[in-house]
Order: sequence, then structure tokens, then C-alpha cells
Amino acid sequence: MATRLPQGAFGWTRWLGAIWTLVRTDFKVRYHGTVGGFVWALLKPLSMFIVLMGIFSYVFASSRDYTLNLVVGLFLWDFFAESTRVGIISLHSKAFLIAKTRFPRWIVVATAVASPLVTLAVFSAAVVLVLFLLGRGPSLAALALYGVYLLCYVLIVLGISLAGSVLFLRYRDLNQVWEVVIQGGFFLAPIIYPLTILPEKVHFYLFLWPPTPVVHFTRMVLIQGVAPTAKGHGLLLLMTFSIVAIGALVFWRLAPSAAEKL
Amino acid sequence: MSETMLVARDIRKCFRIPSVRRETIREQLLHLGRPRQYEELRVLDGVSLEVQAGETLGIMGRNGSGKSTLLKILCGIYRADSGQVFRHGGITPVLELGVGWNPELDAIDNILLVGTFMGLALSEARRSVDEVLAFAGLERFANQYLKYYSSGMASRLAYSLAFRAARDVVVLDEVFAVGDAEFKARCEKRYAELQSEGRALILVSHEPGIISHFCGRALLLEGGKVRLAGEAGAVAAAYLDLLGARA
Repeated sequence: MATRLPQGAFGWTRWLGAIWTLVRTDFKVRYHGTVGGFVWALLKPLSMFIVLMGIFSYVFASSRDYTLNLVVGLFLWDFFAESTRVGIISLHSKAFLIAKTRFPRWIVVATAVASPLVTLAVFSAAVVLVLFLLGRGPSLAALALYGVYLLCYVLIVLGISLAGSVLFLRYRDLNQVWEVVIQGGFFLAPIIYPLTILPEKVHFYLFLWPPTPVVHFTRMVLIQGVAPTAKGHGLLLLMTFSIVAIGALVFWRLAPSAAEKL
Repeated sequence: MSETMLVARDIRKCFRIPSVRRETIREQLLHLGRPRQYEELRVLDGVSLEVQAGETLGIMGRNGSGKSTLLKILCGIYRADSGQVFRHGGITPVLELGVGWNPELDAIDNILLVGTFMGLALSEARRSVDEVLAFAGLERFANQYLKYYSSGMASRLAYSLAFRAARDVVVLDEVFAVGDAEFKARCEKRYAELQSEGRALILVSHEPGIISHFCGRALLLEGGKVRLAGEAGAVAAAYLDLLGARA
């Protein structure tokens, strides 16, 4: 009955199977195992997009750009808020597995962002489709830049989640503190207002809040069709690298004792 | 000469128990600058052991002697304060009668989830589902959420999966403490198969008869130290003497 595995056989291909199973079962738990659950995971962001576009197009009929800016900002913000929320509590929520099995703990943190990532992917497809329907389809270069911004965004979220997930095991109200940060951060990022209404001298400080450069740059390339400066890109890459490095360092230091803190 | 599968050298582990628990940022800020007293609870104090391929090592000890902490360190779940663990192969642990079930999933999804984390390829885990359920005698409850399982049913499923996903070293904590006579007989048969296949087995039990019957060598832990290491029958007898002396 038992199968003898050669040494080293528990490699990447086997981890991929474990990661896929973890993501799939997470979706199943989230949507209560219903057949429509997976469909709902796709329909939810799509329906939200249609509703928000419909309402804002009516309310802000005179400015289509404002509507597009607002919807793009809201969805990018939602990804940041939701994925960091679940990322911070990810190790704790998988206590049943961590206390009994040996595996790289980062897998749990990385897979926690899967659901928000699906939402973001559906939204991205919808917004690009709408732009093409409006005759303002982004160029390939703009789409490539958007892809880079999303990659940076996901890495930033991972960095915050890596550090937050191990710190949460030591400080059990960290998620509540983060919730307050998220509430304030919503107004710090240029989501419901354009960055240009604020004095230029405060822009740099606003750009230190991770969602700000991603939201602003995405709007520039997808909606306005202009590329941000090289300096701006440099700042985003530096921020991404710094957050991932700090998050990974904190995780590397504290994760080995995670099971003892559950 | 048989291959050494797992070596632990001079393992030490101490838990620091604070006089006042501060588990939130709010508590930390409110008591900033107020030092806490810590009580040091030494759980393991220089434990060494090694297991060869095809060998079964028994571990005995009273409650609180450090058995569970030692198993978790051997399996890589806890980190030792000092000492070294060398693993020359994969480990399949069943600790405290469980393998890490998600109570919000049914038995099939749990087998796939935990099975892949135990080292089965996903395709292999899918093929194993019926076999694992049959071994545990839980075919009728395949679609039942684990939160509705009794602790005995969950443990039977855990051992069944561990036997199916067994890797080079198998760590079993109180394997014969669950299930009815029929399940125990199946476990014993599977256990003998694992031995004959050359797996290294670590078996923890409070039952001297089980240690004497299944193990060649054994350790007796007391107060975090190895009180006796040697032939399993002698260790089982020493364990009984220890209980008698304490009674």
C-alpha cells in the first residue's frame, strides 16, 4: 500500500500539486463548496464592475475619465485591502495544517492572495474590454506596463502579508490595527480624487503609501495613455524591492517558530 | 550495514513562560517599560537518538516528559534551541492523533489536501482516496465534513492516510489507541508491512506491550532527558517501574 518515494522526490512538481489543492479548497470553503461558488468568484467582480460603471457613468455623466479613474482606483484598492487582510491572518487560519505538517510556511501566505487575485484578473479583463469598446484601447506597451505594475502590486502585498502573518501570531490585534490603517489609507491614496488636485510638494509623501504609485501609474497608462517618468518607475521598483525584502526578512526570522505561537 | 535515516544530537528545548501574557499591541503599549518575569520550562535537555532504515524505535515516557515536543522537533514543526536534527529522507508524521484536517472540508478534499502536503503527487492522492477511506472504514462518510466526524473517526482517517503516504521515516503517536479491534488489526498488518519495506519508524506509546511487541529499541524520557535507552522490553519494564515508583 505504501509507496516509497525516492529522496528529493518531494520537489517542485509535488509542491505545485499541494499549492493547487490548497487554493482550490480555500475557494471551496469560501464559497461553501457550491457548484456555483467558483462561477460566483468570477461573477462577483464582474457584476461589481458593471454596477459601479453604470452608477458612476450616470452620476458623473459629464466626465467619463473620472468614472474610469474611480472604478480603476476602487478595484486596485479593493485588491490591496482584501489581500493584505487575508494575508495577515493566513498562518493563523491554517493552524490545523501548520501544527501537524512540515512544509514551507510561505506557501500558505502566497496562496492566501489567490482569491483577491482572481477578482483583480477579472476586473483587469473587464476594464481593458470597456476601453476597447470606447475606442480607447490601450497599446501593447501600456498593457505591458500595467502588467509590471500589477506584478509590483502583488509583490508588495506579499511582502506586507509575509511580515504581517508572523507578527499576527505574536500580536493578536494586528489585524484590527491594520484595519484602521486601511481605513485611513483609502483617503491617502488618490482613489476618489485625482492626485493633481493636491499641491505637488505633497505628492512624494503620498507616493510612499504603496497603492498610490500603482493606482496613479495604472490610470496614466490605461486611461490617459501617457507613460510615467523613469524616476517614478524607479521609485515603484525600489518600494517593491524594499517591502518584499523587509517582509521576507521578518518572515525568515520568525516563521520557524510559527507553530509554537499558534 | 543499514542506512541511518534520522539522527538527533543533544536536542534542547526550553519554553519561556511569561508571568503576564501580553499578546496584543495594545497590551504592549499600555505596559511599555514594565519588565516581565519569565519562568523557564525546560522540556528537552540533551536528547540524542538515531533511527536506521527498517528499524522501529519506541519512545515512552509519562505525560509531560517531553515526548510530543521531541516528535515535533524531529518532524521539523518546532525548532530546537540547540542541537541538530539530520533527516536523510522525508518524514510522515501523525502527531497527537491528527495530521492537520480542515474541519470545513469533507473527507475527500481533506485527503487530497493533507495527502499532497504529506508528499503524495496530486494524481497519486486522487487515486488513493478510495483506498484510504476503505482502510479507515469510512467510505459512507466520504462526503461528510470533518467537523462532523468524531475524534475516533478523524484519527482513523489520519492513520489511514499516513500509512498510504508513508515516506522514509514514519512518526506515529499512539497509533494503536484509536479504533476498534478490526481497525487495530489492519493497523498492525500495515505496520508490519512498513517495517518489511525498510521504513524507519518512530512509535510513541504509553502501552509497554505495544513497545515490546513492535519495537527493537526504545527510549524512556523523564523530565526532558533520556533516562534509559536500549532493548525495547527492558525500556518498557523500566517505564512500568517508573509508574510504580510514582504511584
